[in-house]
Amino acid sequence: MIRRLWALSRKELRQLFASPIAYVVLTVYVALTGIYFFQHLVSYNQLLFVYQSEGLTAGGFDQGTVPSQINVLNEVFVPSADDFGLFLLVVLPLVTMRVFAEERANGTDELLLTCGLRPYEVALAKHGVTYFFVLLLLLGSAIYPAVVVLRAGLGLEHLVALYSGQLLYGCAVASLGLACSSFTSSQIVAAVLGYAIPFVLLDFAWLSNTVSESVAAVLREVALLSHYGSFARGVIELRHVVYFAGIAGLGWLASVASLELARAR
Amino acid sequence: MSFLPAAGVVMILVAVGSYYATRSLHGFSAFSGANLLLGALLLAVGVVAQARRFRGFSGAESRRVVLRWSASLVGALALVVGVDVAARGWTSRIDLTLDHSYTLSEQTIALCQKLAQRGGEPIQLVFFEDALLAKDVRLLVAAYGDRCPAVETRDARRREPPQAARDLYTTTATTVIACRGDVCDPVGYPSERNITSAILRLSRERPVHVYFTVGHGEIDLASESDTGYAAVAATLRDQGMDPKALVSPAAPDVPEDADVLVIGAPERDFLPEELAVLERYLSRGGRLLVLADAGQHSNVYSELLPRWGFVLDDSVVLDQAASPLLKEATPVNLLVHLFAPYDPVTRNLSQRTMLLFPRARPVGLGRKPQPDDKLAQVAFASPRSWLSQNLARALAGGELQPPAGAQTGNIGVVATGRFPRGTGEPPAEARIVVIGDRDFAQNRLLEALYNRDLLLNAVRWLGNDEQAIALTDKGWTPNQDPLTLQQTVAYFYFLAFALPETLLLLGIYAWWRQRA
Repeated sequence: MIRRLWALSRKELRQLFASPIAYVVLTVYVALTGIYFFQHLVSYNQLLFVYQSEGLTAGGFDQGTVPSQINVLNEVFVPSADDFGLFLLVVLPLVTMRVFAEERANGTDELLLTCGLRPYEVALAKHGVTYFFVLLLLLGSAIYPAVVVLRAGLGLEHLVALYSGQLLYGCAVASLGLACSSFTSSQIVAAVLGYAIPFVLLDFAWLSNTVSESVAAVLREVALLSHYGSFARGVIELRHVVYFAGIAGLGWLASVASLELARAR
Repeated sequence: MSFLPAAGVVMILVAVGSYYATRSLHGFSAFSGANLLLGALLLAVGVVAQARRFRGFSGAESRRVVLRWSASLVGALALVVGVDVAARGWTSRIDLTLDHSYTLSEQTIALCQKLAQRGGEPIQLVFFEDALLAKDVRLLVAAYGDRCPAVETRDARRREPPQAARDLYTTTATTVIACRGDVCDPVGYPSERNITSAILRLSRERPVHVYFTVGHGEIDLASESDTGYAAVAATLRDQGMDPKALVSPAAPDVPEDADVLVIGAPERDFLPEELAVLERYLSRGGRLLVLADAGQHSNVYSELLPRWGFVLDDSVVLDQAASPLLKEATPVNLLVHLFAPYDPVTRNLSQRTMLLFPRARPVGLGRKPQPDDKLAQVAFASPRSWLSQNLARALAGGELQPPAGAQTGNIGVVATGRFPRGTGEPPAEARIVVIGDRDFAQNRLLEALYNRDLLLNAVRWLGNDEQAIALTDKGWTPNQDPLTLQQTVAYFYFLAFALPETLLLLGIYAWWRQRA
């Protein structure tokens, strides 16, 4: 099984990097994260300049002292992590839309399912390769934050927490996109659904005024955003890990179900 | 017919998007609502219309597959939602912040355990999710809920807070309000120190009464200036203590309810009757904190304290390890970093948690008044320190090196004494703490380094209030200036232009190869 999975994963990787879309997505994501991280850093530098200027004591015990709340963690990392999460939501459906839908449109899915591969193996390989691509995206965007983490003395553990959260969140979003792709032969439909479902799942605050408090509490627990914030602050909570793993698992199961249905038809 | 579900999805997206774009103005608008309803309707109609495609599953085996996988998906979805909702109560977390910002300190845990052992009405931490700092504080409040059995956390959005808390929640600047029964106390900046202080205030059965002598040029607790001492009074009140003035010339005795008496750097002599009052107070087991300072002359230093075994030379401690934190980084501004590790007054102070002592006076030890008395120096200037008799020259920055023959090395600047007195059971014990500096407690310096900890540790030890040893905000702050603007721009060029450019070129190459 491992050999079959490995062979299928290699084929998927080749297919992914043979098309320009992977490079475009990498480019867009790295550029967006770089620009936004830069913006936060520049704003932070300006804030430091204001506090360090002679005319402002800012509550310190000597002139030019910067309050400890004004630091790179609060001013750069936490807002950047929120931005990065939204950017993942924007770029990932562009990658996931083709993974299953293209096979279905070309009719190669039947070939896959009749050459001895089980549906769950096909889904596992495709999901695995997409998660690997998410990892690549994050590595590309991690250079800037890593430099700042090391220079600011935040500790590499903090970076690990931040990117663990991003990876889990990215895998969950990608998994939803893959599930959408597996149910259709149209890449456009897969992309629209791949945007729609995570976007709706992002935060149910818009529904909280129209449903009862108990339902709103459940919806809050289901929302993506309520599970994402603590990673940027350097804390990995088991319940959030379980949530993202659950979403990713659900997406994988939906892909398997879709392949099983296709085979049954 | 596949147009219908696609249109439905687009309308739902517009509904959610318009909500996010305008929620600060008017929440969920009619436009968003109409789009949501119509979108859901179109989606439902589209799905029903598409259902006829399922006619392809004609055989019994096919239908079984459809049923099995549909049931599996619904079951898995229910399982994920169920586990997620149930996991709200899971408290396992790994705090990877460098200073463990979201892990409660030993002091807080010890206080929580004491409160749990004592029983009684629990303390509620009411947390306001819509407050400005809610995102920053949520994890910390959750840590109290997890680790403090005597503390309940309550999300104001989920459970109605007590009326007193609702009354205090006047602005979104308030994030946490601590309540016990009907009594509520807002927490200022919601740090662990402030939340624990609020818990401490509410849990006290009676306040610790701290009397400050006045009338001899002592420190001014009312002064808000940089060199005033209003911060001392505010800090004590923040801890649930009650600072009061004692006009000693007019008082025949120290009040009965005095837990601690503070003589804050007197510049003039006490009357003989006043010294007699102090002697009587100490002899019956009184608790005294004396702040001394270089260049001051009072019979408290020359008569009272020597009788209890403390020696205060009329000199100033200078140290080459002067503090760079003050503009005038002269040897007169000491960084004190050597401490007796097990003494309650210097507990938690170490080489990493230092004190800033400008113009300190040496505090030495003489003969013990009685054999059972215990005297100890608990904080020292560095081995490179020395004593100077010429304060004016030292203050002017004229003495940068120890002169030949000067006393050098590990000069004590804080000392404590325990004096068992009387025959009661348990026997009364007088306690004295002498701190050879008053400036460390000035408004501008009390929050510098760990100065506040020393003051609170001393008062708490004297007031038998050791359960509430000083708790300082986590001392670590990230390097506030990690990259210069030039470095920021250099990295920006690489990451926002050079790297994306390379990736894009690779993409063009992949596209070209695909076409070829």
